[in-house]
Amino acid sequence: MAVAEPFVGARPVWRRPLTVNFRAPRTWSIVGASLFLVVTVIVLAAPLLSPHDPLTPVGIPLAAPGHGGFLLGSDSIGRDVLSRCLYGARASWFAALVVIAGGFLIGGLVGLVAGASGGWIDNLLMRITDGFLALPAPVLAIAVVASLGPSFTHTLIAVSIVWWPFYARIVRGEISKLAARPHVEAARLAGAGRIRIAVRHLLPGALPAAVVTASLDVGNLVLALAGLSFLGLGQSAPAPELGADSARNLSLLLQQWWVPVMPGIVLAVLAVIANIAGDSVRNLIDPE
Amino acid sequence: MLSFVGQRLAAMVIIVLTLAAAVFALQKMSPLDPVHAQLGGQASQTAIAARRHALGLDKPVVTQFGHYLTGLAHGDLGTSYRTRRPVRTDLVAYVPATLELAGTGLLIALALATVFAFASTLKVPGSGAFRLLLMLGASVPTFLLGIFGILLFYQHFGWLPASGRTSIGDAPTGPTHLLTVDGLLHGRPAVTWDAWKHLVMPATAIALGPAVAIGRVLRSSLEGELGGDYVRTARAKGRSERQILFGHVLRNAIGAAVSMTGLQVGLMFAGVLVVEQVFGWPGLGLYIAESIPVADFPAIAGVTLLLGSAYVVINAIVDLIQAAADPRIRV
Repeated sequence: MAVAEPFVGARPVWRRPLTVNFRAPRTWSIVGASLFLVVTVIVLAAPLLSPHDPLTPVGIPLAAPGHGGFLLGSDSIGRDVLSRCLYGARASWFAALVVIAGGFLIGGLVGLVAGASGGWIDNLLMRITDGFLALPAPVLAIAVVASLGPSFTHTLIAVSIVWWPFYARIVRGEISKLAARPHVEAARLAGAGRIRIAVRHLLPGALPAAVVTASLDVGNLVLALAGLSFLGLGQSAPAPELGADSARNLSLLLQQWWVPVMPGIVLAVLAVIANIAGDSVRNLIDPE
Repeated sequence: MLSFVGQRLAAMVIIVLTLAAAVFALQKMSPLDPVHAQLGGQASQTAIAARRHALGLDKPVVTQFGHYLTGLAHGDLGTSYRTRRPVRTDLVAYVPATLELAGTGLLIALALATVFAFASTLKVPGSGAFRLLLMLGASVPTFLLGIFGILLFYQHFGWLPASGRTSIGDAPTGPTHLLTVDGLLHGRPAVTWDAWKHLVMPATAIALGPAVAIGRVLRSSLEGELGGDYVRTARAKGRSERQILFGHVLRNAIGAAVSMTGLQVGLMFAGVLVVEQVFGWPGLGLYIAESIPVADFPAIAGVTLLLGSAYVVINAIVDLIQAAADPRIRV
């Protein structure tokens, strides 16, 4: 007669011994995805991490990296390049996140409304989306900023305006796939209203694809915004900004290379980290 | 096929009209008054009213838009606030340099993408390192690639020039305004060679990002097609991997890469505008960068219309090429 084994399997997560399997790809994906959080914390802590104020001259101008107490050197009026890079990274990172949030919300709403309502509303909204997608986004963004007047806020608005159509397409695609599924049919038969079906039964299914797109997009946006900032469409002069700092100091390139190069390297590091983190989020959410 | 061409061309016209409408709306939204910008702050009320009337700004918006479209159809892009010349004249002066740079960039991007895709599909030794290098290059901002290029190939090695289109003072100025071509047409290969040396660095800087994007698409569709039944049949017949790749698979796999190329042209335009700053390249990027700080909207609108239309036309051509190559698309 068999004796029942004591049942031990279902201890709650916090009672289980903490074991980390470093061989499992999932572990590394979680580590990668958490880079988003790590970078956010680091750039938020820019005022604590910066050795100097980014706006005031604090030492000899054009000191080489490691000299005069400047880890990354100083610029033409003696400001600390490291501090300017940290504050600039904060501006770049949050600008990218803000544009993505904007694109996600506008595009998600358009995609949801189009996919859930179907018919002529779907047709109209998707033709508008296609119209935007058929135009080169960065060039359009420049025209929008030029019309609103150059400022950082206007650049963010402009890029959000040209960025949402990607999200609208993706959410609309997911929604129309989901709309044919039995659970939606069941909800409709149970008498759920259109809005309830859209929000409770369609939206949750479309979110993973949109989140994956958004996390893969952070790196692209950091680079796209840096390009616009390089062209003079970012914050105005004394504010630390990576693209603009590099552009304004190009004339120093052959003598004091660190002044234009360092902000560019920080941008590249941000973009690489964002791409790694984005890939990890994709692996976590849809592992094929 | 004919109806597909008709539909595609009609869509193209509609998109270009939408673009024109968008630019017109932006002009209307702009807080900067074109009359003030042209006449300056001290102009009298009567002068302002007279100019408003001359520009048709006292008419209803719909009429103004009609005038605007008629003007565009005749190539009238307005007058730049900064240079006080017609925007069209300015564009004609700046376009050839940008065209030469973007065209070379596109060729380099296609070459790199092809090498990347085929090397990693055929698992050529060293392709892993090449792939990593390209990926890294695509994560670096375009202007930083240019800057690294200047530091390495101009300052350190002294192999390549760092700015401008040519260092030859009496370089020919016609008939195509593309120095690489004009040098040959005038029988002066030195001009062409010099122009190539100036082109290599900025063109490679704008090519890396698109190269990775195109190469990835090409590689994944090559690998997808290699799993097909017809490939197994070809292998069973005893054809070599290379014969299968070039004789059977390539034509089926190239479609996605071609449409990706069309889309990447938009990204490349942005890269061109930035890289021209780094290399002092006398093209549209320099023009737009000088127009941005003084809010010269007609100039920026002109560049937007030109690049936007170019993008739309290129993508229409890409679609037509694909439809010609692959009958499945026409349906």
